[in-house]
Amino acid sequence: MADLWTNFLWPLILILIKIMAFVLPLLMAVAYLTYAERKVIAAMHLRKGPNVVGPFGLLQPMADGLKLFIKETVVPTGANPLVFLLAPVVTFVLALVGWAVIPVADGWVIADINVGILYLFAVSSLGIYGIIMAGWASNSKYSFLGALRSAAQMVSYEVSIGFVIISVLMSAGSLNLSNIVRAQSGLWYFIPHFPMFVLFLISALAETNRTPFDLPEAESELVGGYNTEYSAMTFAMFFLGEYANMILMSSLCTILFLGGWLPPVAVAPFTWVPGIVWFALKVAAVLFFYLWARATLPRYRYDQLMRLGWKIFLPLSLGWVVVTAVALHLFGWLPK
Amino acid sequence: MSSISRSLRGFLLLELLSGFALTLKYMFRPKVTLNYPYEKGPLSTRFRGEHALRRYANGEERCIACKLCEAICPAQAITIEAEPRDDGSRRTTRYDLDMNKCIYCGLCQEACPVDAIVEGPNFEYATERRAELIYNKQKLLDNGERWETEIAMRLEKEAPYR
Amino acid sequence: MPKLTIDGLEVDVPAGTSVLQAAEQLGIEIPRFCYHDRLPVAANCRMCLVEIEKMPKPVASCAMPAGEGMVVKTQSPAALQARKDVMELLLINHPLDCPICDQGGECDLQDQAVAYGKDRGRYTEEKRAVVEKDMGPLIKTAMTRCIHCTRCVRFLTEIAGVPELGMVNRGEHAEITTYVGKALTSELSGNLVDLCPVGALTSAPYAYTARPWELKKTESIDVLDAVGCAIRIDARGNQVMRVLPRLNEDVNEEWLGDKSRHAIDGLAKRRLDTPFVRRNGRLEEASWNEAFAVIQDKLGGLPGSAVAAIAGDLADAESMFALKLLMDSLGSPHRDCRQDGAALDPAVSASYRFNTTIAGIEQADALLIVGSNPRIEAPVLNARIRKRFLKGGFAVAHIGVAADLTYPAQHLGDGVDTFQAVVDGAHPFFEVLKAAERPMIVLGMGALCRDDGARILGAARYLADKVGLVKDGWNGFNVLQTAAARVAGLDLGFVPGQGGLDTRGILAAARAGDIGAVWLLGADQIETNSLDQAFVVYQGHHGDVGAQVADVVLPGAAYTEKSGTYLNTEGRAQRAARAVFPPGEAREDWKILRAVSEVLGKPLPFDSLEALRALMAEGCASFAGIDKVVPGVWGDFGENGALNPALGPLGSAVSNYYMTDPISRASPTMARCTLEIGGNAKARTGTDG
Repeated sequence: MADLWTNFLWPLILILIKIMAFVLPLLMAVAYLTYAERKVIAAMHLRKGPNVVGPFGLLQPMADGLKLFIKETVVPTGANPLVFLLAPVVTFVLALVGWAVIPVADGWVIADINVGILYLFAVSSLGIYGIIMAGWASNSKYSFLGALRSAAQMVSYEVSIGFVIISVLMSAGSLNLSNIVRAQSGLWYFIPHFPMFVLFLISALAETNRTPFDLPEAESELVGGYNTEYSAMTFAMFFLGEYANMILMSSLCTILFLGGWLPPVAVAPFTWVPGIVWFALKVAAVLFFYLWARATLPRYRYDQLMRLGWKIFLPLSLGWVVVTAVALHLFGWLPK
Repeated sequence: MSSISRSLRGFLLLELLSGFALTLKYMFRPKVTLNYPYEKGPLSTRFRGEHALRRYANGEERCIACKLCEAICPAQAITIEAEPRDDGSRRTTRYDLDMNKCIYCGLCQEACPVDAIVEGPNFEYATERRAELIYNKQKLLDNGERWETEIAMRLEKEAPYR
Repeated sequence: MPKLTIDGLEVDVPAGTSVLQAAEQLGIEIPRFCYHDRLPVAANCRMCLVEIEKMPKPVASCAMPAGEGMVVKTQSPAALQARKDVMELLLINHPLDCPICDQGGECDLQDQAVAYGKDRGRYTEEKRAVVEKDMGPLIKTAMTRCIHCTRCVRFLTEIAGVPELGMVNRGEHAEITTYVGKALTSELSGNLVDLCPVGALTSAPYAYTARPWELKKTESIDVLDAVGCAIRIDARGNQVMRVLPRLNEDVNEEWLGDKSRHAIDGLAKRRLDTPFVRRNGRLEEASWNEAFAVIQDKLGGLPGSAVAAIAGDLADAESMFALKLLMDSLGSPHRDCRQDGAALDPAVSASYRFNTTIAGIEQADALLIVGSNPRIEAPVLNARIRKRFLKGGFAVAHIGVAADLTYPAQHLGDGVDTFQAVVDGAHPFFEVLKAAERPMIVLGMGALCRDDGARILGAARYLADKVGLVKDGWNGFNVLQTAAARVAGLDLGFVPGQGGLDTRGILAAARAGDIGAVWLLGADQIETNSLDQAFVVYQGHHGDVGAQVADVVLPGAAYTEKSGTYLNTEGRAQRAARAVFPPGEAREDWKILRAVSEVLGKPLPFDSLEALRALMAEGCASFAGIDKVVPGVWGDFGENGALNPALGPLGSAVSNYYMTDPISRASPTMARCTLEIGGNAKARTGTDG
C-alpha cells in the first residue's frame, strides 16, 4: 500500500500539480497575449485598442472567451463530424504537450529529458495533423486550401529550423534544453549565431502561421483558411493552440539563443531576480516582436514564401552548420 | 556599385528594420481614437447624413413634386406620387425614401430646385428592423423640423459654392 | 424644282417647299416652335431663323419658300446668334417653373433652351403674368408660360374646325384666349396639349401625376371608337397614366379624340377584379373554380339550342373567335356581335366597311352622310373629312338631325324621306353624286340600327349602282361603325348560324324561356331586363349593366391589358398591346374561354395566343396581315322595301360622345366632360352636389 503511494500515486499527483502549474499560467498568458496583440497593434495604428471591458479593457479576453464559450458549435452539413471535432482538440493538446520539456527556470521543468529538443521537434511536426484534419473534415474549399498551404509551409520551415537548432546543439553539446541554457552562461548564443537567430525568428513566424506568413488563413483569399468552418469552442481551441504555439516558439527561441532563465549579466542586482522572471521577460520580448511584425509587414505571396524557405533559409542554415562545425573543430571549442 | 549596395541592404534586412522603426515610432504617438458616443469628431457642412424634407418659414412644405430627385436617384430609393392639392398647387401625396437602398450620394439634394430634400448632419438613426428605414413623407418632414436650424446653417455656409 | 444649297449640301425640292422642309429632307433639324407640318405656317416664333446668302437679315425658314440657287446656312454664327437672341426674348416672360410644369421633360422650349439659352437672364424688369383661361375639364392652362406660337389657335380653327381660341391684344398684352370664356367644345381638344410646345396647355386629368421619364410606353390601338387610332399608352406601375396619339398616316395622322385620350381613368374604376357568383339574388365574390363549377352545373345540362352568346363593342377578335368556337362545340347557333341590332349583312364584307378607307377620303369629291354624325362618332375621321373639305371642290351633304359637323355640310333633311328622294334621283344632290368622279356615301349606325335599317341599306346599295359609287379603283360605299369589335365580329362570323337567332331574337327567346343561358362577352348595350329568366354569364372588365344581370361574372381584361386584334371600320387589322396587367384575379379573355371550354369538357383547339391567331387567320383573310386592309367583297345586300318615316328622324347612334362604352361610362373625367361641354351643362340648382 505504501509502495503504491510512494511509487505510483504520489508521483502522479505531483506530475498533475506540475502540469497544472504550467498549464494555468500558460492559458492566462495566451488570453493576455491576445489582449496585448490588440493593444500593441492598435498603438501602432494610432488607435487605443480594447478599453471598454474592465479597466484599460483588461477583461476583454475574458469577455471574448465567454462569448466563444456560449456560442453554438456549428458542424457543417458536409463535414465529417468526428474528424471535424477532433482536429481542434489535436491542435490544442499538441500545443500544450510541447511545454513538458521547457525549463522556465533552473530545474523548473516537468520532464527534464535528454532528448528534449528532439521531443519538441516531433511534437511541433505533429501539429500539422490538426490543421490537415480540420481542412479535410470541413469539406470546404477554403479550409482545404488553407490546410494544404499550412502543411506545406510548416514542413518547409521546420527543415531550416532543424538546421538552426543543429548549429546550437553543436555549440552546446547537448539535446537537453536545460543543458543548452546552462551552456550559454558565458555568452548567449544569439551573439555568435546572430544570423541563425534572425533566421530562427523569421522561421518561427512561418512555423506559427503569423504575419507576414499567415497565408493559411489569408482572409482576403481564403476567407479564414482551415478554420473557416469553425465556430465557438472548436474555434477557440484552434485559437488557443495557435497562441500557445506562439509562446512555445518564443520560449524555444529564448532557450536556444537568449540564455533562458539566465540574467543578462551574472552580477549582484541581476542575480537577485528569480530566473523565471528573466525567462518571462525574454519570452515577452520575442512575443512583442511577433506582434510588431504583424503591425508592420504585409503578407507574403505564397511562391515568395516557398522560395524564401527552400532557396534562401535552407542553404543559409546548412552553410552555417558547416561554418559552425569547422569553427568548433579548428579552434577546439568543441564542448566536452 | 548600386547592385552591391542593394543586395547588401537586402541581406542586412535594412528595409525591414526601417519599417519596424516606423511602426515603433508610431506606437508612442498620441492616439486619434475618439470615445465615440461621448466624443464626436467635427462634421463638414457638406456631410451627407439622414434625409429631411424642409418647410418654408411659413410652414408650407417646400417640395413641389417635380420628381427630379426620384429621377436622378441612382439607387432608385425615392418613390413619389403627386397630384394637385385642393388649392391647385403641385404637391406630393407620397414621398417614400428607402434608406436601405440609399447610397448617400447627395444627388437628390443637388437636383432639388427648392432645397426641399436635403441630407442633414444626422447619422445616428440606426434601427432594429429594416422596415423602420423606409421613410415616408411624414417622417422626412419631421426630420426637417427637428434639424431645420442646423440644415439652414449648413445651406447658408455652402451657399457661396453652389 | 428649285435647287438650293443648305449647309453645303445640294437638294432639289418641289416648288413651294419651305427652306425648313427642304432642310428636313436633308436631315438637318432647324429648331422651331410655331411651325407644324399639319398646320398653316404662322412664322411668329422666329426660332427657325437661318442665314441665307444675299439676304440682309436672318430669315424665318418655315415661311421662306425655297428658291433656285439659294445658299442657306443653318449653323452659321449669325444664324446661331439670331436663335440665341430669339430664345432670350422668349424666355424674358417665360416663368422658371419647369419643376412644377407638367411639360417638364418633354418640353420643346426646355430642350431648345439647353441648346440656345443663356444660363442667366439680363432682364431685370417685372415679368408679365397672364390670367388663366377656363378651357374646360380637359385642358389646364398656365398662360404665363405661353410663347404665342398660335399652334393651338391654328389647330382649332383649321383642323378641328371649332374656332374658339384666338389671340387678342398686341405686344406685351397679347394673349391666347377663349373668346367667350367657356369650355372648348371640340372633341379633338386634347391635341392642343400635344401641340403646345411649352407648358401653357397641359392635360388636366393628368395634371401633376407623372413625369414622362417614369412612364412605360406601349404602342397600341384605341378601341373606344371604330376608327382604331394608333395610340401610345403611358403606364406607371400597373396604372395607365395617359394615352397619346401615335403617327399613322392611314388612320389618324397624329390626332386623337378626347374620349380615347381621357377615358382611361375609367380603367381604374368599377373594375371587375374577381369572379362573382349570384347567390340568393346577390352577386358574391367567388374563386375562379367556384365560378367555373356554377357554369359547368348550369350549362352542362342545357341543349345547344338553349345557349346563346352576345359580344359587346370592345371585344377583341381573339376572344370573339374563341367564344364562337365554344358555342359551336356546345352546338349553339345563337350568337351575335351586333348588340345594337344594326342591320349589317355579314355575307357581303363590303357592306359593313368603310371601303373608301380613311386616307381615301382625301381623294373623294362628293360626300353624302346618312344617319351619322361623324364628329361625335369618329372625330378623327371627321377631321379627315374637314381636311378634304378645306382643299376645296368637295360637296358635302348630310341627311339626319341637323348638327355642326365643323365644316359646312349641306343639310338636306332629317328623315328617311329625304334619303328616299336622293335615292330616287328626285333630289338635286343625286345629280351632284352622279356627276362626281369619286363620290362617297357614309351610312351611320343611326340609320342602320332602325327597324327599317335593312331597307335603308338596300336603298343605299341601289343608290350605289345608280350614281356609280363603286368603280375601278374606287369604292365610295361606306358604313361608319361605332364599335371597335363590330367588323371583326362580322368577318369572323360571330353572327347567327344555321337557324340561329340574332340579338333581338336571343333577347325575345330568353324572355320567352326558350333560351336558358346567355353568354355576354362585354355586352352592355342590350335590354338586360329580358335576361331575367336566363342564366347569364358576363365576361368583361367593367361592372356595367351587363354584369348587373349576370349570374356569374368572369373578370376579363380591358384593351390596355391584353394583346388583341381589332378590325377598324375600314377592316384594317390592328393589334393592341398589353401595357399593364389586368387587375386582381382578372385574366385575358381568350384564356378564360379556353379554361371554360376545358371545364365543359369540350377543350378548344389551341393552347396559346399564337395558336389561336393562326387558327383565326386560317379562317378569315382579314387577320392575315397586321396594319393591312383586305378590301371588302362587293355584292348584293340589303332589303328592298319602303322606308318608314314614322320611325322618326335619322339621328346619330351616339348621343353623348363622352360616354359610349363601359370604360368611358366609368370615367370621372368623361362624366365631367358630359356635364361641362357641349350643351350638356345644366343649370346648377341648390340641391346639386
